[in-house]
Amino acid sequence: MSERSSAADGRRSLVAVAVALTLVTVAAVVPALVGARPANEVPVTELPDADDSLSEPTGDAWERTPAKEIALASAPSGAPNANDTSIESVSVRAAYTDERLFVRLSWDDPSRDGNVSPANATPQVNSFADAAAVQLPADAGANPGIAMGSDRTPVNVWYWSGATGGQELLAGGPGTTTPIGSVGSNASYEDGRWHVVYARNRTADAENRTSFDGDEDVRVAFAVWNGNNSERAGQKAVSEWQYLALGPGPEGPPYETILWAVAGLAIAAVVVATVVGVRRT
Amino acid sequence: MSTQDDDGPTVELADGVEHQVAMVMDLNKCIGCQSCTVACKTLWTEGGGREYMYWNNVETKPGKGYPRNWEEKGGGFESAEQADKEDTHGERQVGELPSQEDWGRPWEFNHEEIFYDGSDESLKPQGRSPEWGPNWDEDQGAGEYPNSYYFYLPRICNHCTHPSCAEACPRKALYKREEDGIVLVDQERCRGYRYCVEGCPYNKVHFNVMKKKSEKCIFCYPRKEGEGPDDEVRPPACASECPPQLRLVGFLDDEDGPIYKLVEEYEVALRLHPEFHTEPNVYYIPPFAPPQHTENGETVDVERIPRPYLEELFGEQVHDALDTIERHRDRVRRGQDSELMELLTTKDMAKQYRLEVFE
Ligand code: SF4
Ligand code: SF4
Repeated sequence: MSERSSAADGRRSLVAVAVALTLVTVAAVVPALVGARPANEVPVTELPDADDSLSEPTGDAWERTPAKEIALASAPSGAPNANDTSIESVSVRAAYTDERLFVRLSWDDPSRDGNVSPANATPQVNSFADAAAVQLPADAGANPGIAMGSDRTPVNVWYWSGATGGQELLAGGPGTTTPIGSVGSNASYEDGRWHVVYARNRTADAENRTSFDGDEDVRVAFAVWNGNNSERAGQKAVSEWQYLALGPGPEGPPYETILWAVAGLAIAAVVVATVVGVRRT
Repeated sequence: MSTQDDDGPTVELADGVEHQVAMVMDLNKCIGCQSCTVACKTLWTEGGGREYMYWNNVETKPGKGYPRNWEEKGGGFESAEQADKEDTHGERQVGELPSQEDWGRPWEFNHEEIFYDGSDESLKPQGRSPEWGPNWDEDQGAGEYPNSYYFYLPRICNHCTHPSCAEACPRKALYKREEDGIVLVDQERCRGYRYCVEGCPYNKVHFNVMKKKSEKCIFCYPRKEGEGPDDEVRPPACASECPPQLRLVGFLDDEDGPIYKLVEEYEVALRLHPEFHTEPNVYYIPPFAPPQHTENGETVDVERIPRPYLEELFGEQVHDALDTIERHRDRVRRGQDSELMELLTTKDMAKQYRLEVFE
């Protein structure tokens, strides 16, 4: 083995050690990051210039946002077959630009129901469209009942259906939803999976519409209907209340993360110094 | 429930309803011409997603009806006995949503080609060959030669006293009008859930796939209110267009009207499938048929339409009703007077249609 090649070998193994150490550090820090996040938080990523991409259900910008998998269960309701729901979880991502807030829901549904595609034949009188909804307190600071709020604490519902597109609804209890406008929505169905993006200005321009311009967390809940299973109205799969992490967060400044990062780097430095020292002797 | 003494009505009306519109149809007069169906269709359900809808339909009985097998699809309420209650009915029953095939698809015909392009093809539905439609089993009936039988059953929404369609809707988009008990769908509130369609045991609510709302018979309320060009109060189109004029229209609680008398006094006008417990406000005079014949044409004293079948349709009361009518027929045959026969045979429009009594 020549001098040159042994020096090259040395550099290579140093690089390998550094990579390994970085992995160790990341492995140490990331769980801490995730662990510090409460179970019902939906992270919201700031992506100032990604408006166009976020409007697309599978736009590139969505890859820069973390996904939160949220469990769904049949909503307690008086609807016939209320317990017969078929969607078990929904993957949620959220992001905002200066102007707008985007929420994307993705879920598996092997059958596509709705007349979104022009090629689709006339819908039948007994077929139902797939649908999904985002429920928010009309007053961002309020804490309404999970079942469509109440007349004193109304909720805003962003409703999308494969048949009719996006609608913004106001509700003050079950059976009271009233359309108050349309919410921007965009949907795509790929490989047995729906991706639906809702977009709305962060500032509410009317009463009874949720505003996202403060720096507080906002409660949010989700619902998905599988049209193929005749799901509609109260026959739906719903989540518990979550919150859109728009505020500083309940864990305060990320000390834990910083400490872990510092500790990780310190360990890495010691290991590198030791390795180098050992090789020199 | 408004059961009042002396001056008020003695019939049971729904809570909060001042008067109840009602219709009596004499099944002995129906010739199955479908003029009522066409009158209704041209007035209310011609296009815009309503092609398959017949708010008024006339089906042949025995037969599967419109939609196919509607009598077996459930809905309505369980009985008071089932519910172990003294009251009129028990819990609401969840029904089944009829399929597009059960209703029958609207067909396109080659009218254009035949009438304008000089084609010598025969007139026939285009595209997929039809497999079912309203009154598909027309005149088929039941029974063996020479004693086969059938009759026609015109049907509209019954504007029930306890409308299970309204109770089925989680949004209360269906409601019973205070002034006359007409059951309507609030098009603003309806979100197309179709619980009303499966909740009505008579399948008299329809879903409009284009509008994504439920729609149903409105008892021609604009005609009843004189909303037409001449401001005149008119009965529903199905009634006024019927050649044999077999429908009486008025208020159930109009004690001087024929409907009250036929329903409450003589008890010969019956509800269709009373066991659904929605308490319809459309009533039927049950059909008579000539007695049975032997192979060589001799008349035998056996009823042609089996009583059990009529009982299935109109409940136990059908026996008394048929007996009462038979008694009064006899009286007329013997040259005596019969108010009942008078009511059933009147050609006086003012008696047949009494819609202005409570104005
Ligand atoms: S017939 Fe059916 S649709 Fe009409 S009022 Fe009764 S339950 Fe409702
Ligand atoms: S118009 Fe009269 S006779 Fe003709 S089908 Fe209708 S109800 Fe029967």
